[in-house]
Amino acid sequence: MTDAPMPVSSAHLTRDVESGGSLPFWAVFKRELRLYFRSPVAYAIAFAVLFFLALLFNSYLVTSVRNQLPANSTYMPNLLTFLMFLIAPLLTMRLLAEESREGTLEVLMTLPMGDWQYVLGKFLAAWTYFTILLAFTLVFHLVNMQVGVPDMGATFGSYVGAWLYGGGVIAVCMIWTALTEDQIVAAFLSAATVLILYLADQGATALSTNANLSVLGNILRELSLTAHYNDSMAQGIFRLHDVLYFAFLIIGALFITTRIVESRRWRA
Amino acid sequence: MIEVQNLTKRYGENAAIRGVSFVARPGQVTGFLGPNGAGKTTTMRILTGFMPPSDGKATVAGYDVFEQSMEVRKRVGYLPENVPLYRDMTARDYLMYIAEIRGVRNRRARADEVLARVGLSSRADSRIRTLSKGMKQRVGLAQALVHNPPVLILDEPTIGLDPIQVLELRDVVRDLGHDHTVLFSTHILSEAEQVCDNVIIINQGEIVAEGSPAALRGQLERGGRIITRVSGDLNKALSVMRAVSGVADAELGMDGIVATPAPGADPRGAIAQALVGAGIGLVELRPLAINLEEIFLELTRQETHEPEPEAITETSDEEMSS
Repeated sequence: MTDAPMPVSSAHLTRDVESGGSLPFWAVFKRELRLYFRSPVAYAIAFAVLFFLALLFNSYLVTSVRNQLPANSTYMPNLLTFLMFLIAPLLTMRLLAEESREGTLEVLMTLPMGDWQYVLGKFLAAWTYFTILLAFTLVFHLVNMQVGVPDMGATFGSYVGAWLYGGGVIAVCMIWTALTEDQIVAAFLSAATVLILYLADQGATALSTNANLSVLGNILRELSLTAHYNDSMAQGIFRLHDVLYFAFLIIGALFITTRIVESRRWRA
Repeated sequence: MIEVQNLTKRYGENAAIRGVSFVARPGQVTGFLGPNGAGKTTTMRILTGFMPPSDGKATVAGYDVFEQSMEVRKRVGYLPENVPLYRDMTARDYLMYIAEIRGVRNRRARADEVLARVGLSSRADSRIRTLSKGMKQRVGLAQALVHNPPVLILDEPTIGLDPIQVLELRDVVRDLGHDHTVLFSTHILSEAEQVCDNVIIINQGEIVAEGSPAALRGQLERGGRIITRVSGDLNKALSVMRAVSGVADAELGMDGIVATPAPGADPRGAIAQALVGAGIGLVELRPLAINLEEIFLELTRQETHEPEPEAITETSDEEMSS
């Protein structure tokens, strides 16, 4: 087909376009979140995760009722945090790698906003999507309440913890999607990084058996995701330093991501 | 207004641009002309605040591109090479998105306004992936216009378009030049000649010539090679021409005799007289460079062959100041 002719008029545009309004990151956030709900991948992730959790919940329910175990609502958020090494890379791999490959990042980087704005907007969109996924698992808690009396404190703690855990892991995955243009590479490296942070706890335990390396083991343990979730919040134990760990993880990872995107200005 | 002084961008050992200085005035289309890899995109990326220069200074709309990057970005509309767009968005949604980041109010009205300006109102709700290449280019241009910036930087906007789309886009750019400062890069020389009020020729990271298309042509006519077509004995004509004072050399070219004038001389009249005097039929006598395409080849030829490559640039500077 042929294009409609472009009118060549000397009609001047309105000289002053009023400006002001909301912060740029909010616009980026809204666009990215909308994209999740239009993307078949996001629905596939949600379906697979919830279906898998539902199967496990079913067998858990059967055993716990048969053996008359106390109802435990921390089971589902705990499982979800374990699955984050699969979920987070899939949610984040597109975010910056695609923009960088398509060249749209160059447009974003010449708009009047700091680089942290779109990094933050994209991160918040992924975290919000995760939050919605986490909220869906509350259905299992409702079922639990029908068959028993789950510990509400533990449930609350494990949910808040899983939410922070998700934010931290997503932020870490942002680093890889900023570093590479290849989504698959970003996803693999993200998954590997999250698994390392998850298993660091085991390594720490191994190191601690050797008296000379126990300090190193303790440092490693403090860095691991597991030490700040599974041992505390997952059981409803609230410790300030666990919350701080996730807060620093999010802020630190986003800071690194911003720096990586910024470095394109010097390397490009 | 864009003012560039001694701009240099180095990548390790290599410099993408070296000591580039020029001025792009409001109400004019300034053409940035050069072969691929000459440093056009690098210069534009510095001017849009995408990356910092290694050395030198540039101001856009009165703000320093490095010190006051945000102020510059607010006032620049940028269409990058290859026109990156979000292919799954509709044209209007895309423009509203960019407008929202830019803090433009009444975004929907504004998006529709710029779509009308680039002649795409009928496709406002089409996803960008379904648009033709020419339409995508116009969406990119609309993106650059959405905040109504005083300065427009367009990196090879006509690349990959069909001839009709190219003509349409050139019309729009020329029209935008009336009320904007437009910096427009291209490697197609006839395009610069048609669209631009002022042309800057850049090669291997350095400016080799600057001026209006007409001035550049005039300057080359004075110092550039002359092609002569004759009827009759070619060898005789060749020896006659070599004898003319002001002709440094003459040789048989593809479609005539090509004479290289001595520095600063214009031997065209003398050549015509000598040839006619010797009884040789003069069919045609003209400067070899009649359009920017040839001016460009002439300039790069002089760069490589002449001991003083600065000669042409200096002449052009004198013309500019006079």
